[in-house]
Amino acid sequence: MSSKMLDYLSLAFVVAVKVFKKTTPNGKITVYLGKRDFIDHIDYCDPVDGVVVVDTEYLKGRKVYSQLVTTYRFGREEDEVMGVKFSKEMVIGQEQVVPLINAKMELTPVQEKLLKKLGPNAYPFTFNFPEMAPSSVTLQPSEEDQGKPMGVDYCVRTYVAENEDQKSHKRSSVTLAIKKLQHAPTSRGRRLPSSLVSKGFTFSNGKINLEVTLDREIYYHGEKLAANIIVSNNSRKSVRNIRCMVVQHVEITMINSQFSRHVASLESREGCPVTPGASLSKTFYLVPLARSNKDIRGVALDGHLKEDDVNLASSTLVAEGKCPADAIGIVVSYSVRVKLNCGTLGGELVTDVPFKLLHPAEGTVERQRFNAMKKMQSIERHRYENSLYTNEEEDNIVFEDFARLRMNEPE
Amino acid sequence: MAENYTNFGIGPVAYPLKMVSQEVVEHMLGWNIPEEHQDLVHEHWRNFPAVSKYWHYCLALIYTMLMVTSLTGNGIVIWIFGTSKSLRSASNMFVINLAVFDVMMMLEMPLLIMNSFHQRMLGYQLGCDIYAILGSLSGIGGAITNAVIAFDRYKTISCPLDGRINKIQAALLIAFTWFWALPFTILPAAKIWGKFVPEGFLTTCSFDYFTDDQDTKVFVACIFVWSYCIPMALICYFYSQLFGAVRLHERMLQEQAKKMNVKSLASNKEDASRSVEIRIAKVAFTIFFLFVCGWTPYAFVAMTGAFGDRSMLTPVATMIPAVCCKIVSCIDPWVYAINHPRYRAELQKRIPWLGVREADPDTASTTTSVATNQTSSQADA
Repeated sequence: MSSKMLDYLSLAFVVAVKVFKKTTPNGKITVYLGKRDFIDHIDYCDPVDGVVVVDTEYLKGRKVYSQLVTTYRFGREEDEVMGVKFSKEMVIGQEQVVPLINAKMELTPVQEKLLKKLGPNAYPFTFNFPEMAPSSVTLQPSEEDQGKPMGVDYCVRTYVAENEDQKSHKRSSVTLAIKKLQHAPTSRGRRLPSSLVSKGFTFSNGKINLEVTLDREIYYHGEKLAANIIVSNNSRKSVRNIRCMVVQHVEITMINSQFSRHVASLESREGCPVTPGASLSKTFYLVPLARSNKDIRGVALDGHLKEDDVNLASSTLVAEGKCPADAIGIVVSYSVRVKLNCGTLGGELVTDVPFKLLHPAEGTVERQRFNAMKKMQSIERHRYENSLYTNEEEDNIVFEDFARLRMNEPE
Repeated sequence: MAENYTNFGIGPVAYPLKMVSQEVVEHMLGWNIPEEHQDLVHEHWRNFPAVSKYWHYCLALIYTMLMVTSLTGNGIVIWIFGTSKSLRSASNMFVINLAVFDVMMMLEMPLLIMNSFHQRMLGYQLGCDIYAILGSLSGIGGAITNAVIAFDRYKTISCPLDGRINKIQAALLIAFTWFWALPFTILPAAKIWGKFVPEGFLTTCSFDYFTDDQDTKVFVACIFVWSYCIPMALICYFYSQLFGAVRLHERMLQEQAKKMNVKSLASNKEDASRSVEIRIAKVAFTIFFLFVCGWTPYAFVAMTGAFGDRSMLTPVATMIPAVCCKIVSCIDPWVYAINHPRYRAELQKRIPWLGVREADPDTASTTTSVATNQTSSQADA
């Protein structure tokens, strides 16, 4: 059980485990999940652990299956012509839940608690994400885009069928959207990313030198980023202005295409022009945030399930010894780009300094601070929600109905 | 009165025949065109006996049926694509444009039907020009719109992220299709280069490919390249590129699936992936085939008239291409609209009795059927 959840609930002054649940349209099967965000710690990944409660009389010898499904959507639905589908669904885990096949399976604490509470009709299931499974990412749709947003998403689908290959029915199946996310490693590293470039000119001697240094290698979402810029001008041109921006690079590996978006930018003429022989040292502060980029299409977000917890997509981390080019799904990276404008004839001097943007790791001081911030934002909502579930709070388990989270989700 | 008219209308060529037999008058083609308009009819046609009125009625009947089909098909396309909000995208503007060209071609048909009952071109030169302008504008415009649609589809499918053409670009491309059709419409109409003359049954009109001079030959060669070769080359190029892009995407998705241990239930997955490519190939081939069917006969007749053995070009033979391209203009809307899921959904909503069964596109999705070793490894753990 994550400490995040504990923090979360201690707020309500009840030490309770929060659990998400969703029932099939016919009400016969209910799926419980301990959480919706599953963290990929690079060396291992949280398993998807849940419990299915089933009306055994309803089954009449049929079986209950659960699947872990990932969906890639790499194009707009309305652009699908000639029978091409821009989405691909892959079942990356399948398990027969009822009747239970492996009675000795290792249970997680949440499963044990749920089984104890929900009685003999409760059956556990566990999925492990494949090692290479990509993180959940949503590409922000534009106003006029219809249909599901592009990106990578995950869900747990549970259905009733005679056998594995049989088609499921809407009324007896239920889909819970979940997220797979990556968090920063516990230590942020001491290396300060920096870049040093210079630019000469065709018809004049001397160069302009630009040095950019960031104050960290890994930033947490919402943190202020400081880029220290040193310009020394040994040329005969002068620097008119300086632009500094945070660039989000998005690579969509399934169609081998990439693009980038400016998620924060700042332009300054302060100290400009930097005349020949002069130099300038200056620090730019930028905060890349999802909410300041709401109207930019294609900005990558951490696959979001609810409106209030949207943040920019985290940098994609790759296990040590693995090549970043092997990463699949949607690969996100960040850099600070500094542009010196050397006048119409002089052109531009540009440099990129890469950095990582992530959520703090579980258990770190930053994480606690982060959680506290989040708590403040949603304190009222949780008070209200807890008041709704008072009758279910025995045994210290809080049940939250799994909302229909995604647009156009099939009933 | 009619008799008088007939006698009056006999041209100098028809006279000898009439003298041979007073009872069975076997007219030659073009006999019923008055003296002052005789220059409309090329010598070639005068070598053939006049076409029986039953041929004319038959052609009129065929055109009536085509007119109804074309009006229904293109009318529904313009109506639904033009009025439903979910279909108002840049790509669909091209489909509407094609339907507009097809409707324009349809406008020829009532003219022909009237001509058929008079067995001559009504309005002589003016009627001929109007008929031919409609035909050449819609024919060349339709051909290049096919190529533009191929281009648009190639762009959207090969780079689904930002390849899509925006509305301004689409409007420019549509203007381009109209400009593409203009030169070979205005020049012959103004008699600057080439001219419009009656052909076949002498009830239809098209550009002149018989006059035996350099000017006409160059004109025919140019229009052949401009309205047949170039659009066809573009269609072939874009659809083959598109097919390549789809194959690439499929392969990359399969590689990613493999990396996630998604072991296929081999047959299923193989089938699923193959069908996408086959489906694309089918649609692309249908469009290409339609284009070939619609315009090769015309190209053949024109090229033969200008450069080949003219004796093959009997009146009936030269009417076939006209019918062919009109048939294609009737089929076009169905081909372009029928594999458009949102169009079908909309059609079903508005005209339920048509029996179009289309699942709501929002709920349909493709599944790669798979099994993994994840569950067993969990059990071992």
